[in-house]
Amino acid sequence: MNERFKRDLREERWQGLGVSEGHVLGRVLRIDNGSRQVYRALLDESEAARELDRFQSALKTARQQLLGIKEKAEKELGPEHAYIFDAHLLMLEDRKLREQVEGYITREKTNAEWALRVVADDLLAVYSSIEDDYLRARGSDIEDVAQRILSALTGDKPQYANLTRDAVIVSADLSPSAVAELDLQHAQAITTDAGGWTSHTAIIARGLGIPAVVGLRDLYRRTRTGDTIIVNSYEGEVVLHPSAETLEVYQRQVSSRTSAPAIVKSAPALEPTKTVDGISVVLRANVELPVEFEGVIKFGARGIGLYRSEFLLSREGVLLSEEEQCEAYLEVAQVAGSDGATIRLFDLGGEKIHSGFGNERNPALGLRAIRFGLRNEDILRTQVRAILRAAAKGRLDIVLPMVSDLADVRRARAIIDAERTLLTSEGREIGVVKVGAMIEVPSAVVLADSIAREVDFFSLGTNDLVQYMLAVDRGNDEVSDWFRSLHPAVLQSVVRVQEAAANASIPTVVCGEMASTPAYAVVLIGLGATDLSMTPAAIPRVARALAGIKCEDAKVISIMCLECSTADEVEQTVREQFLKRWPDLFHPGSLPAGKPA
Amino acid sequence: MIEKRVTVTNRLGLHARAAARLVHSANRFQSTMRLQRVDDRVSADAKSILSVLMLAAARGTELSATAEGADEADAIAALAELFSNGFGEAEI
Repeated sequence: MNERFKRDLREERWQGLGVSEGHVLGRVLRIDNGSRQVYRALLDESEAARELDRFQSALKTARQQLLGIKEKAEKELGPEHAYIFDAHLLMLEDRKLREQVEGYITREKTNAEWALRVVADDLLAVYSSIEDDYLRARGSDIEDVAQRILSALTGDKPQYANLTRDAVIVSADLSPSAVAELDLQHAQAITTDAGGWTSHTAIIARGLGIPAVVGLRDLYRRTRTGDTIIVNSYEGEVVLHPSAETLEVYQRQVSSRTSAPAIVKSAPALEPTKTVDGISVVLRANVELPVEFEGVIKFGARGIGLYRSEFLLSREGVLLSEEEQCEAYLEVAQVAGSDGATIRLFDLGGEKIHSGFGNERNPALGLRAIRFGLRNEDILRTQVRAILRAAAKGRLDIVLPMVSDLADVRRARAIIDAERTLLTSEGREIGVVKVGAMIEVPSAVVLADSIAREVDFFSLGTNDLVQYMLAVDRGNDEVSDWFRSLHPAVLQSVVRVQEAAANASIPTVVCGEMASTPAYAVVLIGLGATDLSMTPAAIPRVARALAGIKCEDAKVISIMCLECSTADEVEQTVREQFLKRWPDLFHPGSLPAGKPA
Repeated sequence: MIEKRVTVTNRLGLHARAAARLVHSANRFQSTMRLQRVDDRVSADAKSILSVLMLAAARGTELSATAEGADEADAIAALAELFSNGFGEAEI
């Protein structure tokens, strides 16, 4: 390499949020959503004629690409996320655009790139003056299409057609169209400067079992494609240009990390997971997007313990019709098979809802989840009808998100019962559907005994339970030190909820991200859980950890944890006990590290 | 030529998906079809998505739809139907 272009490759570290587990070494592949510089060239008469042909064939190329992307998006993300490419296709074929660009080329005798830039900028200028915020933002779709034609004109291949095996995708923010276009299955890891736990990137990465770290602020502009990079999502850390020593540490850590091996590609045995002392544990899958369905089967899940139905909404918040929803739920039921799937009713609100809807000062405590459904009954009814109908052809249950007490349960059940009756009177076929409650609000924990008497099962949502129990916003970096899954208050809640369920003879499924970390899963088993639902890719490693321990030992550790008064004490206890009892199963790096008292 | 008043009823207005449906539908007819905002002179070719998007028709916008050609009656009926059912979008 020319000396002039050599950069100072000093090791640099970034701290972000690990959203999908793994620790890998690879080479940076920068994915930009960026624009191309366009220059003006003046042409003579014959060149201008050729330029018109060039523009025509660029439109054709762009069209082919878009058709491919649309098909891929439909398959992997669902039709509700693919329709935007329909709009892009129409823009590409729009007479107005074509005529204006061709007119400009003929009149001004310039290259097609320049003509397109001028025309697109004119259109965008009209757009930027639109008063409606939402419609104004659609200008980005026009720019997307313009960029696609420009890259077709310059003959650029789509920049990420074929990923090398060691590619670590580094991006400022992955747009839905980039996600749809990428062959993410082949990526080694993904990092983005923006994003949080619930970003699309995070969800898809978890579904595919690809390590991912998000929220890295300025990593993207500090990298170049080909740079060496280490992504460690256990620590939420990214190391660019690792030094020889760092690489050595990495090799050591990876080879000794026995509890978090590479993803098992083959289908695991389908016999139930059992601890050494013979306690059976059911491991189910949490899913949201069609791209994750494959993982349910591949990783040997016993059905779908949590289907996050709000991902049926497009990014604009447009809802599918009853028919469309019915089809979607039927597909979920088919993927889940005889073990069935639990559909969580739309858990909308807060960060998930489109910004155009309402302006709540405190969305986490606002009109969301079942509250939103009870306020917007027609939406709730449509969803319930679709589920009841799909259940005629597959095993489906309903879980009510974020119930505070029996009032929420009774109102929701009344609506479900009414729709059941209505569908029957319409002569529609419906299935038997159990109705459960998500226990994730402190009031529901306190009142678990009475709620248990009027529902068919409990789903313990640990993510929100931690957030609400500890009053800590999980998306707020400033308070991340206070977000502790292994907090004694959380552990005591888990015990209390399971006891309430056992007294009422109903089952409990624990379905938060907590269950997907092997060490935490062992703690949950010790607290009495026997039914866990997690991101599909986590099932093999959790199964392996559980098969290597005695439930009796986990119980002893959990009792010690329940006696602790701080999260630090719990984490210290877990760390010491796990390393003492199961040194071969748990690497120190995979265990929580509370500050010593 | 036939004219009919229509109102945008879906929450998001004539956004990309709704506009795409509208343009798809309009392109099935031979007639020339236009949409004009009642409140000003801005008008659009209903067969061009860029043109339709430029109407910036948010929820509640009133439009005058016109069709001219052999199948103008069917064309206007199909268009009015799309507006009245909110482009098939149940709303959140």
